[in-house]
Amino acid sequence: MADEILKVRNLTTRFFTEEGQVNAVEGVDFDVRDGEVFGIVGESGSGKSVTALSLIDLVETPGRITEGEVWYRDAELADEHRDSHPEAVDGDYVDVRQLPETTRRWLRGPAFATIFQDPMSSLNPTIPVGEQIAEAVEVQRRARANPRRTRSRTQGYGLGRLLIDSVIPSRNYVSDESHERAVELLDRVGIPDPEQRAEEYPHEFSGGMLQRAMVAQALAGEPDVLIADEPTTALDVTIQAQILNLLTELQEEEDMSVVLITHNLGVIARMCQRVGVMYAGEVVERGSLEDVFENPVHPYTEGLLGSIPDLEDPAPRLSPIEGNVPSLLDSEMGEKCYFADRCPKAMESCLHRIDERDAPSTLDGVDHKVRCVLADREYDESEALDGATAPEVTDD
Amino acid sequence: MSYGRFLLKRGFQGILVVWGVVSIVFMLRFITPGSPVDAVAPLDASAELRQRIAEELGLNQPLYVQYLDYLWALLHGDMGYSYISGIEASQMVFTKLPATVELAVASSLVAITLSIPLGVISATRRHQPADYAATTFSLVGISTPNFWLGIMLVLLLSVEFGLFPTSGRAYGFIEAFRILAAQGVSPGLDALWQWLRHIFLPAVTLGTYFTALITRLTRSGMLEELGQSYVQATRAKGLPESLIRYKHALRNTLIPVITVLGLQLGTLIGGAVITEAVFSWPGLGTTLINAINVRDWPILQATLVVIGCGFVLVNLVVDAVYAYLDPQVVAE
Repeated sequence: MADEILKVRNLTTRFFTEEGQVNAVEGVDFDVRDGEVFGIVGESGSGKSVTALSLIDLVETPGRITEGEVWYRDAELADEHRDSHPEAVDGDYVDVRQLPETTRRWLRGPAFATIFQDPMSSLNPTIPVGEQIAEAVEVQRRARANPRRTRSRTQGYGLGRLLIDSVIPSRNYVSDESHERAVELLDRVGIPDPEQRAEEYPHEFSGGMLQRAMVAQALAGEPDVLIADEPTTALDVTIQAQILNLLTELQEEEDMSVVLITHNLGVIARMCQRVGVMYAGEVVERGSLEDVFENPVHPYTEGLLGSIPDLEDPAPRLSPIEGNVPSLLDSEMGEKCYFADRCPKAMESCLHRIDERDAPSTLDGVDHKVRCVLADREYDESEALDGATAPEVTDD
Repeated sequence: MSYGRFLLKRGFQGILVVWGVVSIVFMLRFITPGSPVDAVAPLDASAELRQRIAEELGLNQPLYVQYLDYLWALLHGDMGYSYISGIEASQMVFTKLPATVELAVASSLVAITLSIPLGVISATRRHQPADYAATTFSLVGISTPNFWLGIMLVLLLSVEFGLFPTSGRAYGFIEAFRILAAQGVSPGLDALWQWLRHIFLPAVTLGTYFTALITRLTRSGMLEELGQSYVQATRAKGLPESLIRYKHALRNTLIPVITVLGLQLGTLIGGAVITEAVFSWPGLGTTLINAINVRDWPILQATLVVIGCGFVLVNLVVDAVYAYLDPQVVAE
């Protein structure tokens, strides 16, 4: 059995807005194993992206991670912090959340790299693409050159440096070696004529090429975990497949783990070994792809799977999940299961929220966890909640 | 489009603008009431004398001939002679120009060196005491009238404490360097010191509004840039905050800031009329006002043409810098 590179426990992120407290991510648990693709799937607003940002500690105000642990396996880092931060170390694992700010930032790049949804807005429009990738290489290079790596990883950069860089372009922050490495990386992700493209600006790239460049930038730090937040959503369908193929190929060759965040179940089915389904900030069901897709327990997972068309057996009508994602405002969330209002199998026992429970699993050593009472019992119509719609049995 | 072609295109447009300015300045004389003869001729001049003066000034020619003559003379650097003093207009304007350029550049330097760091501090320490101090300063700076500030500075620093001279301009900047070269270090440094003492108060007076304006612009631009998704993506790749702030966010913030800087510098070359008046600064602004008062058309025209050219030139430089900072400008 593969080891976990990442263990996320009770991760909770809230936004403190003027309308009130928004519970964007609510006690999320999941593991990511070595060399696997772990998928997080859910509707818009289910907390997928905030989960990703919480992992790399980039939630912006008014958002804040209020609770939880992100255990990352790095024996060297664990040894370094065993004495200074004993509470943040457990065996080979360190709790990223309890490490000092500088160390946390240091982990971005070599530990966690991120690809965002829209490549066009994820790159600075006024700096050549190659230079932006080279920056990511340069940061790691300087960090390696500086043995006290948890300290300041680079020399400072201020107004004076900006002035010098602007007036004398040859005296740039980025070294020639880093620039060459950036060209190599562009070549690696299949960008033709990489040397020339490295000098071009983001607006001279197509969307697909730009997302490839983003992947190259993510590879710059040789990350252990690649977080891909809706990497194909902003792209044409034909380009989507290319990017997914690229990700699969790189994941195998570089032996990275990938956290793939998407709303697209097809992408999940194609890419992932294990998957977590998110709803209203919670992971409602997680397990192996087979367990979750073939034997879903949570009615929400069932509903999601029921809402995709099947090419081999086209049903006359797709069955959408009735209703909308609930408000995530703390004051409006209440005590009952967040899905109860939309759930076709809501019962009286759903009036209280429950912890994750074990569900039957087909694979040894792979958990199948569900946050639903149906994990232990069958649906009983006599206990149905008022207003809940009974499941329609349509076997055609 | 390459950078060179872009500049060439802008340069050509600049020439067209200058031509337009020159034409309008020429027409100004004909759409304002009163003939230049009135300004030149004595009050009791006979009709015959007036006729002779008109002929001498070329006023009896058809309009297009006068226009072409004017353009032709201008191309050869001839802007006519002052109606009042008889001094060559070009000479008059070019002796006043350095004072104005010095003042414009000095106040811009004051503004740039103060405002950009202030704006950055303000944006990166949002809602902290430093930010409140900077925003308060810029609000006060923008709403303080120049003439009042100038007078107050003179009253306080010159009259009360005697730190600076109240008015005038002892040496030009270049002149001071000539003295340095010709008469040695001691008198040279003294001349430079005098130059600095004289220009300090006008530059601060003129620069305060400017500083306040650019501080606000830098602050809001910086806040906007720091909220862009590329900043988050840049953080995600592990860059240190200082690099993100300066190399990424500030550089992009400066693009609109430089545009405003250029426009402001252009207006400063037009002569900070009021400030020049308060400090008796012998620049173009004072010259312009005097020329208008006595209807000294050649001087007025020469001043306006030089101001127009200065404006176009500054904007050309701004365009060049702008295109250098934002490659998308060249592409469009």
